[in-house]
Amino acid sequence: MEFELTPDQEQLRDAVREVLDVESPPEAARRVAETGQPAAEPWASAVRLGWPAISVPEAQGGLGLGMEELGLVFEELGAHLAPGPFLATLGLFAPLVREAGSPAQRERWLAPLAAGELRAAAAPLPGALWARPEGDGWRLRGEARFVLDGGDAEELAVVARLEAGDGLGLFVAPASAVRAESVEALDPSRPLAHLFFDDVALPADRALGAAGGAADAVARARDEALVAVSMETVGVCRTLFEITLEHAKQRHQFGVPIGSFQAVQHKCADMFVALEKARATGWFAMMCIAEDDPRRGIASAMAKAAAGACQRLVCKEGIQIHGGMGFTWESDVHLYVKRAKTGDLLLGSAREHRARIGELLLGVA
Amino acid sequence: MKLHYDPATEAFRAELRAWLDENRPTRGAMESEPSRSSAHIPDWSRAWQQRLFDAGWLVPGWPPELGGRSATPVQQLVYFEEMARIPVQRSYNPQGLTIIVPSLRDFGSDAQQERFVVPSLRAEVSWCLGMSEPGAGSDLAGLQTRADLRGDRFVVDGQKVWTSGAAHADWCFCFVRTNPDVPKHRGISVLLIDMQSQGVDVRPMAELTDRERADFNEVFFDGVEVPRENLVGEIDRGWPMATGSLAHERGMLWTSQAARLEHLVAELCAAARERGLDADPVFRERLAALHVDAQALKFMGYRGFARFARGEASPEHSVLKLLGSEVEQRLALEATEALGTEALDVEFAGFGLGVEESPPWARRYLFSFANTIAGGTSEIQRNIIAQRVLGLPRR
Repeated sequence: MEFELTPDQEQLRDAVREVLDVESPPEAARRVAETGQPAAEPWASAVRLGWPAISVPEAQGGLGLGMEELGLVFEELGAHLAPGPFLATLGLFAPLVREAGSPAQRERWLAPLAAGELRAAAAPLPGALWARPEGDGWRLRGEARFVLDGGDAEELAVVARLEAGDGLGLFVAPASAVRAESVEALDPSRPLAHLFFDDVALPADRALGAAGGAADAVARARDEALVAVSMETVGVCRTLFEITLEHAKQRHQFGVPIGSFQAVQHKCADMFVALEKARATGWFAMMCIAEDDPRRGIASAMAKAAAGACQRLVCKEGIQIHGGMGFTWESDVHLYVKRAKTGDLLLGSAREHRARIGELLLGVA
Repeated sequence: MKLHYDPATEAFRAELRAWLDENRPTRGAMESEPSRSSAHIPDWSRAWQQRLFDAGWLVPGWPPELGGRSATPVQQLVYFEEMARIPVQRSYNPQGLTIIVPSLRDFGSDAQQERFVVPSLRAEVSWCLGMSEPGAGSDLAGLQTRADLRGDRFVVDGQKVWTSGAAHADWCFCFVRTNPDVPKHRGISVLLIDMQSQGVDVRPMAELTDRERADFNEVFFDGVEVPRENLVGEIDRGWPMATGSLAHERGMLWTSQAARLEHLVAELCAAARERGLDADPVFRERLAALHVDAQALKFMGYRGFARFARGEASPEHSVLKLLGSEVEQRLALEATEALGTEALDVEFAGFGLGVEESPPWARRYLFSFANTIAGGTSEIQRNIIAQRVLGLPRR
């Protein structure tokens, strides 16, 4: 295995980092959290620079790059607490349409998405949403809960269980057909909504893939979504760790920096190890998806588990080492903690993914 | 980023694999005389190490006259991957091959290199490493074993402890205090001490796992005379060799550590299926956590290697040593607790893969402290990460 970025990948990562350093300071996420108003930046810059096109196929006007590049971008987005529709559109919606959509459907939704003209969201895991065929089209009833950006999107990609049989269907519903109820979310800079489908009628061209045969595409898209949110969480933890380390070097007590105490040093060393583990595991999953390796399923579960374990430690020690300041609204620490916790809890926590990995290792279920 | 190597590298792997299949010692030969310590080299293992040397497979990155083939960094990595797959060590005097020979190449005189390097590589000379003392463990620079220069020889008095292989080693690469009047790091030298010298007394210390097994020893020096020409490098300038030698030790250890962890996870899975533990969701989740950490260790090793191959400094050694030893310990503990009372039988043959590969888990748990303590304790590794990698201030 070669864990080495290509020069193009390094360049992309550095360029994204430079833009976000300017356009997405922590105050941007704070402003969204405090006002509830969406931020124009860094999304506007991202669109201007073509980032939404990164993993959209070239046929739909995208750059045709893959999970490796997208993963690097998501680490930077997380590290900068970037507000905006990045994860919902690029991490969750796009892979579902790319994996299951016909050429016409890809053109319909991915081309505007690549151009930054479509606000989309997705509920990529099967839940309490049901579909039944009706005439040429479909009827959807039930709900999709905790959908990221679910109240702000124009198009919603949702996974539904078929009422007859045990297949999965994948649909793109217009937001106008669905009732959205926003959630008072742990991270106010990351809007969540419950979506209610009250016998919503959808024409056939809004069903993706074969009727009831979406399970494969849904699983493949889920792999990508898991890795995107994992790498974003790694990025969030990276910056939280950096500011914590800086605090340990600057803050003096008993006449010395608190970072000179072994108790603090060992916490920092463990945070560093957790971060390195999560990033390396994420990179492996990025490679497995980019090369379509058969290990992609377990690798993406491992990436989510490692990112979750990382945030668990980095959040805890991040607040603790900051002491009283870390307990205040004024400090940025809570912004990172809330984003990282949300990252862990979306799409299955580390705990759930470990349960799944255990089943895969032991051949259970 | 790539999951697989190019065809030329895979051809290199295939050539090595074929050679190993043809040349590695048989199980029968290995069982005829098991190695009893890290400096006990049975005849079969000497012959094996010499075959590796002659074929250029002992240290592939080195030139042919030193048992290598000037292999590229990626080829060396492939080499370690393959060596980790076979149940035979390269050398049964690992500290000689991986710490002392590289240190002699870096710091030894021409005469010392001439006398020791090739014979050590050919397993004709075995080594122990004289570092820790009763009063100098993690604080190695506090060592007190004195060496006084009198005319053309040093006279050595003092005591080493935890000296692996000392009961079988021909020579000791020994850290001694040659100047007690300067700051402690600046008065340390390295001497090559013939273990047959008058005044050397070796007392084996049985390990907690097994009263019959003793790799560790106490070594006492009582007026031992060492010719001046056996001083390595300059007098009082030995400390860089202590940090340097540990770096050699940690170099690519992660490859075998990663392979061992994968093997242990596989064994634990097999054990769990045999016992019906696979139905226990608590066990499954803990197994998964260990699997993720074991795999992460491997991925981190590869990331560090990419930096190393580019010629950049890599902070990975301490991170990998810390993580690898602690994951192995957790694994043994998890297995012990999952087995319940069964684990109390330390004669228990183990599961699936044969007795030799499967010592009882409880015994393995006890033995796991060898790795969390030796070669720099986990606490020292955390200090190193905090201070040298993260730049936190020393006290």
